[in-house]
Formats: sequence, structure tokens, C-alpha cells
Amino acid sequence: MKETPNFTGRRVTILHRSDITTERLTRQLKLLGLYVTVQWEPLAPTDLPDIVLVDADQGWDDLLPWPEGKAPLPVVALLGSEAPGRIAWAMQQGAGAIIAKPVATSAVYPTLVMAVAIHAERMAATRQLQHLEERVRLRPLVHAAVQKIMTAHNVDEEHAYSILRNCAMQRRMPMEQVAALILAGAEPLPEAG
Amino acid sequence: MGRAIKVGILFSTIGPYGAIGRDSRDGAEFAMDEITTKHPGAIEPVFIDPQGHMPGYLDGARSMLREYGCRHIVGTITSIARKEVIPLVEKHDGLLWYMCPYEGFEANENVIYTGACPNQHLLPLFDYMLPRYGRRPYLVGANYVWGWEMNRLARELIHQAGGEVLGERYLPLEETAVERIILDIEQRRPSFVLNNLIGPASYAFLQAFKVLGDRDPAFLPENCPVVSCDLSECELDEIGSGVATGHFSVAAYFDSLVSPENLAFKIDASKRFGSQRHLSNIFASAYTAVKLCGETIIAAGTDDPQTVRRHLSGVPLSTVFGEVQIDPDTNHMALPFHLGRINDDNGFSIVNSRPAITADPYLTRRRTKMPVRLRIVS
Repeated sequence: MKETPNFTGRRVTILHRSDITTERLTRQLKLLGLYVTVQWEPLAPTDLPDIVLVDADQGWDDLLPWPEGKAPLPVVALLGSEAPGRIAWAMQQGAGAIIAKPVATSAVYPTLVMAVAIHAERMAATRQLQHLEERVRLRPLVHAAVQKIMTAHNVDEEHAYSILRNCAMQRRMPMEQVAALILAGAEPLPEAG
Repeated sequence: MGRAIKVGILFSTIGPYGAIGRDSRDGAEFAMDEITTKHPGAIEPVFIDPQGHMPGYLDGARSMLREYGCRHIVGTITSIARKEVIPLVEKHDGLLWYMCPYEGFEANENVIYTGACPNQHLLPLFDYMLPRYGRRPYLVGANYVWGWEMNRLARELIHQAGGEVLGERYLPLEETAVERIILDIEQRRPSFVLNNLIGPASYAFLQAFKVLGDRDPAFLPENCPVVSCDLSECELDEIGSGVATGHFSVAAYFDSLVSPENLAFKIDASKRFGSQRHLSNIFASAYTAVKLCGETIIAAGTDDPQTVRRHLSGVPLSTVFGEVQIDPDTNHMALPFHLGRINDDNGFSIVNSRPAITADPYLTRRRTKMPVRLRIVS
């Protein structure tokens, strides 16, 4: 960890009935510099906060406005129950960390740090996956372009592939894009080199 | 009030940080005596000495809370001991008075913090050191959370300033084999050394650093000082007279402070401890914690922790640190910053000071830096 985590100015919503739990959480979150909203009704899909703490003991499915696995922000579950169904519900909502009830205020900062980091990790993994999926989808184009180069220059597949890769590097483009341009005839066939 | 209200005093007077514990206990006893003289029979201290063993802290705190009926405990030195005792204090809805400088990142409702956290010691220290001595320090620390976290924060501050950490080494509290670290420092030639070692390790390090300076003038204090965030008067005798002269330490209180509060404090203390005794930050802090605890209980007419906290929070308090407040949000006391240079009399000459700084235990305000007025006291 290079930088000390700092939550100053961030907005957090606690989805929980107002009680001693929300009181203690609010105190601790405020002294961490966060703006706190407490509500016990579904979170509006517009104007989302930066972080959500949700009561996993009594939370119901429409409390959070996103489908399973699609939480757009860090979620922390507030959990007193040990029932597997409740733990599963918390995970379905996208919870990356848990604060056990009754709340120990010393749990708040570490849990926020972890939930935010886990959310960032998940977002990065999702982006990476999308990127790789796109590349896999376009693999046939690359294959076709390699075949075209092999025929044109009478080289083996390995050589043709390296010609295509050099071409992509020189143009600073993904190989898939260069391959598509070559196949469409928009790009002259790269020289063998 | 009928029966005396019992207040627990929990300090280890032996073990690696025994010197600090003895000074803390002296400060606490001194405050208790003053309270008892003024209000006979109102408060009764319960002293327990955990003898430097972790289970001793738990047993001591448990016995204070359960058997003696204390609702207030002043004490613990290390963060490990504090973290051990806190769950018990919470369970009994008591109040722990923690009075040592520490690494921050805590604000427990059942703890009053009269010791400084990093925005009150390390941050102003680096504001002073980096422009004057350079941005290439070497970090040494005790091999537990204090050393690790202080040096992590130092590393962050150094990077933010565009500097470089030349080395980072850790030693257990009682480890006195410091030669390898000294050799490493000699080779790397840092601009200064941040010392977060504790107890015998710290004393051995300063002794070995003196030998290094005698051999190579690049490591004399005026060229490459060692700065500590918790070294105090009560430890200088253990290091040896003149050994650490010229090096620095940070505190909210030094014996040499020239203020009306301190002059009065020293006159009173000298009647009990003699005029030769150098009072320390830890002595002043334990004294202040016990004094505030006892006097607030007497003024409130109850030792109910909630009531005591309400009485204390957000009001100006006259202490030996000057007029300060306890922040009702964080339960931390605002404290002045003083940087002292060790002199040949095993005291500190103050070279830089700032008026009371509000504690920011989670460093939430750091990025919106507030202008700070500098005041030079010499």
C-alpha cells in the first residue's frame, strides 16, 4: 500500500433501520470524513453514492438496484446472522467485505479499505476479461490475415504472423484491427521483412 | 460522594519499556496525590503492574473492572497492550485513558487519547526535517505495529516530497545487536535517520551511532541527525550522558518548556522528586490523564464514562501542555508540537514548536493542507 487510504468527501449510504448500529456506524464514518445517508428503502438507481453499507440480515432483493454480480460500487454487508442464505444474499449484492453486528467501530476503517480495494480489483478483472473476450472473438480475422500473407509472400505461418505483428506494432494498433484492415483491402499487404 | 471511586493505573515498571512505565507511574501517582490532597477520600487509585507481560495487562484490567469496580483505567504503553485491553473495557462500558504517542488509525468510543498521533508528531517533524536536512532518510523501527506503521507513513511522506528512502530496518525491542544496521547506514549515507526503535534497541542504536560519528564526521548530529518520535528525558540516562547530544526528539512536552504552566508544574514536582529530576512527556501525559480523569469524576459527581466524556469534550482544559481540548468526535486531545535537540545535561533544547494541533487519527484532512503558523521558541 503506497498511499494511506482516505475517504474524505466520499458519500456513503447505509441501508439499515435507524438504530444503535446506524448510530455507531455514522459516528465512525463521519470522523473518517464521509458524508453519511441512512435509509431503509430501495436505493435509487440514479445519483448513486460512492459506497453502500447494507443490512444483510433483513435486506431484500430490490433493495439494491443492480443485478447479481453487477455492483457498480463497493458494497459492505452488515451481518449478524450466520445463516448461509444471508451470506449468499450479501455476496449476490456484490458485498466485498463484511462488518459483523454488533458493530465494533474499529472494524469500519479496515472494512472500507478492503471493500474499496476488492471492488477496484473486480472492476479491473472485468475490464481485462472484456478485452480478452474481444480478442478471442476477433482471432479468426487474424488467422485469415496470416493466411493471406503466407500466400502473398510464400512464407510459413510463423513468419507471416511476425510480419503481421510488426505491422501492428509500427501502426500502434491491435493485431486484430490491422488484420481486419488488411482483409478489407483498406491496408496494403505489409512487406515481408 | 460516599465511598471513594476507584481508578485503575496500569503500567509496567520493568521490561524493555520499563523506564517509560516508571515515569508514567510516577506521573500518575503525582496526580493522584494532588487529587487526594484537595479532595480527601474522593478517588482511590488501584495500581497494578503487568510486569511487561501481555497476559498481565488482561488480568490486571479484568481485575480492575470486575473485582475493584473501576470504570476508568489509565495506562498501557504499547499499542499491542492497548488493543488487548480495549475489548474488556468496551465490554464493561468503561473508559481507557491512553497517554502515549502512537501510530494513529484508531478512535474508539471507550478510549480517551491524551498521547499524540502522527499528524501531531510525524507530519510536523517531516515538515521541519525534509527541507533542512534532505529528502533521503534512513528508517529504523521496532518490529511491531508502531515501527511498521510509522515508517510506512514516513515512506509515503518522503515519496510525496520527491525523496527517496535509503533503507528500512527493524529490530525487536530488546535486540541490541545494531552493528549491521549501522554499517548499512554508513554505506548508504542518508540525510538523516528516523528512529522508531523502542527501549534497549533504541538506546543501543544511539550509542553505536555516536561511535560512527566519532569515526566519520558525516554522521555527527549536525550532519546526519537521528530523530525520534517518542524518545524522552526519562530514557536519556539509560543511553548515557552526552551520548545522544545533538540528536532530536518530538514531544508535546519537554522539561525545558518555558511556559507559566510548566514552571508551576516543575516547582510542584520538584517538592516530590527533587529539582534534579527531568520530567518527561510521558510523565506529563500520565499526570494529565489522571488529573483530568479524577477531577472530571469529582466535578461530574459520577464515574459514569458517558457523563465524564460529555463533561470533558469540546471544552478548554488547562493542562501542562497549555490550554487544550478533547475532540468529541475522535476522543483525542489537541496537543502542541515541540522538537527538542538533546543537550549535554540529558535534557532537550527546544528548536521548533507549533501551538496545539487537533488530532486527525485517520489523516482525513491531510490532502487539504491547512496553513500552520510557525512559532520559534528557543
